[in-house]
Amino acid sequence: MSIGARNSVLLAAAVLGLMATSGTHPIAQERSSVRGRVSIGIPVSARRATSTYSRNVPTVALASESELRHVVVYLKDAPRTPSPTMRAEIRQRNENFVPRVVAVTVGSTVDFPNDDPIYHNVFSLSRTKTFDLGRFPKGKSRGERFDKPGVVKVFCQIHSHMSATVMVFDHPWFIVPDEGGTFELPNVPTGMHQLTAWHERLGDTTMAVRVEPGRTETIDFVLPVPAQP
Amino acid sequence: MVAVILTVVFVVVTLDARDRVRAAETDKLRVSENVFSALETKRQQDQVAAMTTLAENPTLKAALDTYFTERRFSGSSDEQLRATVMGETVKLAVQTPADVLAVVETNGRIFTSAGPAAGRWPAGAKVDIPGGTQSAFQSVAVLPGGAFRVTGARLTFGDRPIGALVAGTSLDGNYAQELSNLSTAGVVITVNDSIVARTVREEVARDLVASRASAGTITLNNEEYAVRPMLLSGPARIFMLTSVDAAARAATRDAVFALATIAFGGVLLAALGSFWLARLVSEPVNRLSGAIATMTAAREFDRTLEPSRTSRELDSLTTAFNDLMRGLAAAEAETRSAYVGAIRALAAALDARDPYTAGHSERVSTLSVMIGRIMNLPAAEIEVLRLGALLHDIGKIGVSDQILRKNGSLTAEEFEQIKRHPGLGARILRQVPFLAPHLPIVELHHERPDGRGYPFGLRTEAIPLAARIVHVADAFDAMTSARAYRGALPASEAFAELERFSGTQFDSACVEALLTAMPSSQDIEEPALAQLLGRQLV
Repeated sequence: MSIGARNSVLLAAAVLGLMATSGTHPIAQERSSVRGRVSIGIPVSARRATSTYSRNVPTVALASESELRHVVVYLKDAPRTPSPTMRAEIRQRNENFVPRVVAVTVGSTVDFPNDDPIYHNVFSLSRTKTFDLGRFPKGKSRGERFDKPGVVKVFCQIHSHMSATVMVFDHPWFIVPDEGGTFELPNVPTGMHQLTAWHERLGDTTMAVRVEPGRTETIDFVLPVPAQP
Repeated sequence: MVAVILTVVFVVVTLDARDRVRAAETDKLRVSENVFSALETKRQQDQVAAMTTLAENPTLKAALDTYFTERRFSGSSDEQLRATVMGETVKLAVQTPADVLAVVETNGRIFTSAGPAAGRWPAGAKVDIPGGTQSAFQSVAVLPGGAFRVTGARLTFGDRPIGALVAGTSLDGNYAQELSNLSTAGVVITVNDSIVARTVREEVARDLVASRASAGTITLNNEEYAVRPMLLSGPARIFMLTSVDAAARAATRDAVFALATIAFGGVLLAALGSFWLARLVSEPVNRLSGAIATMTAAREFDRTLEPSRTSRELDSLTTAFNDLMRGLAAAEAETRSAYVGAIRALAAALDARDPYTAGHSERVSTLSVMIGRIMNLPAAEIEVLRLGALLHDIGKIGVSDQILRKNGSLTAEEFEQIKRHPGLGARILRQVPFLAPHLPIVELHHERPDGRGYPFGLRTEAIPLAARIVHVADAFDAMTSARAYRGALPASEAFAELERFSGTQFDSACVEALLTAMPSSQDIEEPALAQLLGRQLV
């Protein structure tokens, strides 16, 4: 819960940062926003019409709601918009990267503190950012600055099961939903947009949304994330 | 009969031994197959473990995950990442003995492959990978280039799968041969019921596929095989099979050889035993019958047979035979003595026809026996001599009293009549079979060594000894007896006469023997001789 709380704080800071800069942005003056909820389930389009025979519908084992923390919702076709940098962290705890998914603006730095009493390594082979922070023991932290937008996969050379994702955006319209899956992107420019919910296992799920001036659009994602043992 | 029984027993025992040997061999095969199966399971487990370890390669996983994440995110892919994955795969492929090592995407398509058989695993081709959530799996993948036995490990980050690392072993002749060498059994590999590899003859493999059986003892190509499935995965089947017949053949041959040896030995022993038993029974019988035949031929009825002491039946037969022969001998002796008595009476009667010759035959007999004894004749011949001498003048029955008692000298005609008496006596004796030995005495007792005797004029060697003895004894008694025309000569004169004509008229050996028989024969007055002669006269 402390992780979630810390993320909330970070997000809140990010949103506040955005709001603080929105005044300078001409499109943002419309004060339109997109909000909604991401849930894990079978999308309506995939459901069978013959619901009366629902007992015959094979039940797909779905992932738990905690998987919502591995989702990033963002405007796919947003114009490049300078945004304030952030400072995020991915801790190495119990041989896992926590959180597994973070989203930052270009120029932000992500810290990788080691909480485990063993050595860890942090490296990436991604085009967006290739780096290797080397091995460091408990209590140490090394950070990496991300100057290009894109997706960065982060791994530990020592523990091959560890992975995390850093998503770097050159605009401010992205968010990791909260525990309940709700999200809100404020100050979205008006017009047609592609809104994407990215999940580390599922990839992109994109929906079109028309943002009217001064209005708040609501859009929900139902992601069929399969359960994992 | 014994041979038939032995044959039947042999056949039954052989069949039984064959069955037992087959059962034992089948068990042995089963055990060795179990052992191999356990080893193979262990080998597969090791392979799984090895693959699981290889699948933890962080560079490969990072490159692969990054590659797909980026492609999904931006739609473009980094070929350097693909190259990284390929490089890692090549490095790992060197460490595994498999024919091919491949990275397979989560959608089942080959991302990259390395190893000798990589050409048959082109990138983008689809490989069937079993679902499920185990970190590793084993199955059979059928690609256009052939079937492969695969061992795979899933590539995951925690609970997030990114693909699989798969090692494939081509199900080909080499693999079949390798399995065959390890298991020392035949191997047949089929995919979709068609044979892809085999180490047994084609007909056997074909029969195996046609039988659709997967385990047990199956007759293939007219031979019995112990079949055991080693792998039944999807369309692929790997069978291990061993010919029970081939395995049992050697053992059966040994067992049959041992049995044959025993049977042959049994027959041999039985034959030897029978032979010995037969000999045990037949030999005394043969001996007995031989002895009887000899006795019959020699007319030795007084001889008794020795009991064999080997069989009671035979001994009682021998005893009965001996009793019979004794009775027979007694009867014959009785007959003989009756004959002898009759003949002796006849001879006495003949002697009595002339008062001068009374007792002559008895005396000649006594003298002849004495001579025979001096000359060491066997007892049987002495007996012949005794009776023969007694009968020597039996032929005189056909000479008229007139001639016999004639006082004067005989005319030539009368003498001719006298000369006929030996032949006449012989004719009479021929009627009596048992007097055959005495015939020569009667017939030839007037032959002389110089050949001037009658009736045949034989010379010394041709005249039987008994006849010569009787001739001497006859002459001596005639000379020492009175005649109507002269008195009795003293013994000394008679001896002198004999000695004078010894070698001409008389056989010299016989004369000598007579002289020896009567040491004081120089004097007729010798009481011993007078006594002897006197007794004979009575």
